[in-house]
Amino acid sequence: MLQLVFLIPIIAGIAVFFLPVKIGRMVLIGTAITHLLITALEWFHVTGPLHNKYFSNTPEGMLVLAIMSFLFLFISLYTISYMAEVEMSKEPTFNACMLLFLGAMSMVTIADHIIMLWVAVEATTLMSAPLIFVRRSKESLEATWKYVLICSVGIALALLGCFFIIFSMEMSNIHVPISFSSLSDVADQLNSVWLKAGFIFIVIGYGTKMGLAPMHTWLPDAHSEAPSPASALLSGALLNCAFLGVYRCHQLMHSAGLGDYSSNVLIAFGLASMLVSAIFILNQTDYKRMLAYSSIENMGIIAVGIGIGGLAAFGAMLHMIHHSLIKSSLFLSAGNILLGYGTKSIDKTRGMLRLFPKTGMSFFAGFAGISGFPPFGIFISELLIILGAIQAGRYVAVTIFIFCLILIFAGASRLVMQMIFDENKEDDRLVPETWARALPPIILLLTSMALIIWLPDSLYQTIQSAISSIGGTIHG
Amino acid sequence: MDFTFSLASFLSFLVAVALAPLFMGVILKVKAFFAGKQGPPWLIKYYTLIKLLRKGSVYSTSTTFVFKLGPIVSFVTALMLLLFFPFAGLPPVLSFHGDVVILFYLLGLGRFFTVLAALDTASPFEGMGAAREVFFSALAEATIFVIIALFFRLSGSLSFAEYFTGVHAVNLWSESAALIFLVLIALFIVLLTENSRVPVDDPATHLELTMIHEVMILDHSGPDLALIEMGAFFKMLFYSSFVSCLLFPFHTGTPLFNVIIFYIIMTLVYATVGLIESITARYKMDMVPNFILTSFALVFFAIILTMEFVQ
Amino acid sequence: MIHISNILLALILLSVLLSLRSNRLMALVKLMAFQGVVVSAVPLVLETSHGVNVNLFLFFLLLVLVKGILIPGLMYRAVKWVVVDREIEPIIGYHASLFAGLIMIVFSVYVTNHLQLAMFSESHKLLMVTGITTMGAGLILLMARRKAITQVIGYLMMENGIYLIGTALAKQVHTQYVVEFAVLLDLIVAVLVMGIVLNDINHTFDDVDTTLMGQLKD
Repeated sequence: MLQLVFLIPIIAGIAVFFLPVKIGRMVLIGTAITHLLITALEWFHVTGPLHNKYFSNTPEGMLVLAIMSFLFLFISLYTISYMAEVEMSKEPTFNACMLLFLGAMSMVTIADHIIMLWVAVEATTLMSAPLIFVRRSKESLEATWKYVLICSVGIALALLGCFFIIFSMEMSNIHVPISFSSLSDVADQLNSVWLKAGFIFIVIGYGTKMGLAPMHTWLPDAHSEAPSPASALLSGALLNCAFLGVYRCHQLMHSAGLGDYSSNVLIAFGLASMLVSAIFILNQTDYKRMLAYSSIENMGIIAVGIGIGGLAAFGAMLHMIHHSLIKSSLFLSAGNILLGYGTKSIDKTRGMLRLFPKTGMSFFAGFAGISGFPPFGIFISELLIILGAIQAGRYVAVTIFIFCLILIFAGASRLVMQMIFDENKEDDRLVPETWARALPPIILLLTSMALIIWLPDSLYQTIQSAISSIGGTIHG
Repeated sequence: MDFTFSLASFLSFLVAVALAPLFMGVILKVKAFFAGKQGPPWLIKYYTLIKLLRKGSVYSTSTTFVFKLGPIVSFVTALMLLLFFPFAGLPPVLSFHGDVVILFYLLGLGRFFTVLAALDTASPFEGMGAAREVFFSALAEATIFVIIALFFRLSGSLSFAEYFTGVHAVNLWSESAALIFLVLIALFIVLLTENSRVPVDDPATHLELTMIHEVMILDHSGPDLALIEMGAFFKMLFYSSFVSCLLFPFHTGTPLFNVIIFYIIMTLVYATVGLIESITARYKMDMVPNFILTSFALVFFAIILTMEFVQ
Repeated sequence: MIHISNILLALILLSVLLSLRSNRLMALVKLMAFQGVVVSAVPLVLETSHGVNVNLFLFFLLLVLVKGILIPGLMYRAVKWVVVDREIEPIIGYHASLFAGLIMIVFSVYVTNHLQLAMFSESHKLLMVTGITTMGAGLILLMARRKAITQVIGYLMMENGIYLIGTALAKQVHTQYVVEFAVLLDLIVAVLVMGIVLNDINHTFDDVDTTLMGQLKD
């Protein structure tokens, strides 16, 4: 039963609304574990493949689902202790929305029907909005308003794109179910003009959600104003879901013989996102915003990697996995920092290593990871993308790519070094760090490290089959 | 030029002219009904005209002959308008190719002389009224000319009568009904503007500062005022007939039946004006251009759609 | 012969124009309700030329319930909650908005004519034009107004426009009621969520003016 991956969180989420806080927390953890189990069953095809009118398990979908499920378990563990610390009056709402959000995102990963995918992506926006404004401060309200409005409008444009794709089929007098899998079979007969138009609208629509520049304006606000567990989920899981929407269409374009066109569009948007984040990251004064801009950058990297194809596509998929792990870890650490210092300002959070050694370590390690240092996975994935780009002869793109990476590293490292190593005369820790909150980010980092040493064969196979349809391969 | 002069057309013209003041009574009656009053008698406007005509005129010493010319020209131009109108589908007294342009310039001429007369008094109030009147009519004129162009596209004719009686008669029951619907609303807005009705102007207002049309004719008295009033009645009749002709094609075959339906619809149009006056307040002065521009936007929508879809 | 669908489309265009010039929030909500009902009726009128379908009719009723009653009802309550009843000093003025609406229709006619939709009947072309214009006008409202409520209405108008374009292009979707129902459900939840955020904004800022929210920027 593939549908269980979204049905269970949704039912649990609705239940948590009405349950007392303590039981709600247990349900949160319980659902996270159940979700991971179901995902594992699906991953190893224990229940057999499913091809329903609306849902199917595709390798790329399973990949996103697996990352999300894994992250969610640790984020929910963190949430329990985080929530206990901040004593939020709306905690049941928060926990319920976390679960509903998980349900909506799981639905995205298995949706096959074009409009169903759209419905699920829109649902993720709506379910995650309460997570952001749960504190009801002026800033968080502003962030939520921007998030809901910009994303809803963007996603509405994606619906238009979906209609265009459906029309490209009706124009050629083909009548198959409007799902990605059946459309791919008849892709070469689809009307190319409408398909291209549809793709553009879908990239703009889902790209808004994914944080591609210039539609990214909501992202730094929403990711920085949300409570840290929600930020981790937004950055680590939601962006991948939006990316999945774009990727599905890219696959369709590829089977329709328009792969070059869609690749160029993706590379252009990807490089634009990298440039924008490189510029804005330089003068950040807020470490959560800095992380948010880094998410924009990494989504750009993934878009570029997928656009280039070949070896770079493999790199992009790896990048997606590692970015999710490391960025979630960073946001969780940022949550600890916020609890400890009570501010999001970089200037006021100095001397972390002395005051909060565990958090300081995990934050610094996470930063090293996100900047592409070994022994973390992003080192490999970025290397693969650069190699792939050189192989494909895209020298201009690769130049801009490397330039942005350097710029972002230079900009961000100045800020991070200041946070971690600078001397801090004062010695007031609002909330001391605990293992309950320090461990989840460390585990996520360790996972990324483990995956670079030992990539499980089934994961390798899944990535391979996910990118084979756009001509991606590990063998140069 | 083709002067189709027949007894029927002339009679229909005379009937229309004679009935114009009566219809204004309809508006007053509707307003009275909504206010829960009995209202003035149906023939009130006739009594008013007779009363005014029996009086003498008073002229300010500072005015010139232009002041006396204003009422006469506005009356005559309004009367001439009606000569071109195909009442109830009957051929009009006057009709020739391109008369639509003349028609609306006649309207403009009448307004021009009213404005001149107002300026001639050198009263600051009247100057203000004139400025407002000219501003709003200039905006409404844009709508009217787009309507003319649109009807030319639809009927292939530049004669006003042909619009409604030709082969491709323009009305709500033709193929391009959707467009005519937009035009109807726009035309109704123009009707309200050009005839200084609520919500653009309030004919019942008593404060000079808030007036548009009324303030221009403050200095006219006696027969002059009667002429101006009659001119206003005719103008109102012209626009209402315009709206009526769009609402219904008068092709039933029997002319008498046509005439009856025509006047029933006319009554409805006047009643609608009265209804609007009863249930809405007039706009603030700065909202009026917005209101008139909406009519322009509507006909603009319509003409863009015709350009592409009606070949 | 008269096409009822064309009249409906003209009504939609009318509501679009009126909403561009309207400065009263309540009037906008009423316009939205009107537009919602007319938009829901369009597929019904277009399809019933081939005979009446019971499912289609039931779905029409559902659409009217949602777009004509439920969503405007929510907006109505939102307007009642907030103290302000009109848009003051829009970012783009009313005349400019109207003018933008005019440009929008020229653009949409141009686009529709260059799509080479040979298979399209005239009603479908007009449907396409209306859809694009409605969508564009919704976007204009979104960008040109300060009040959060007007922005929600702009979003809803845009959604209506996309629905119309969908009706013109993807006939298949309208026979898949599960999918349509899901889309509708999303719309309801979207309005609900926006309504809740709106209410909180009103509480926190004592106004629903989005220009008051300018804390977050780089």
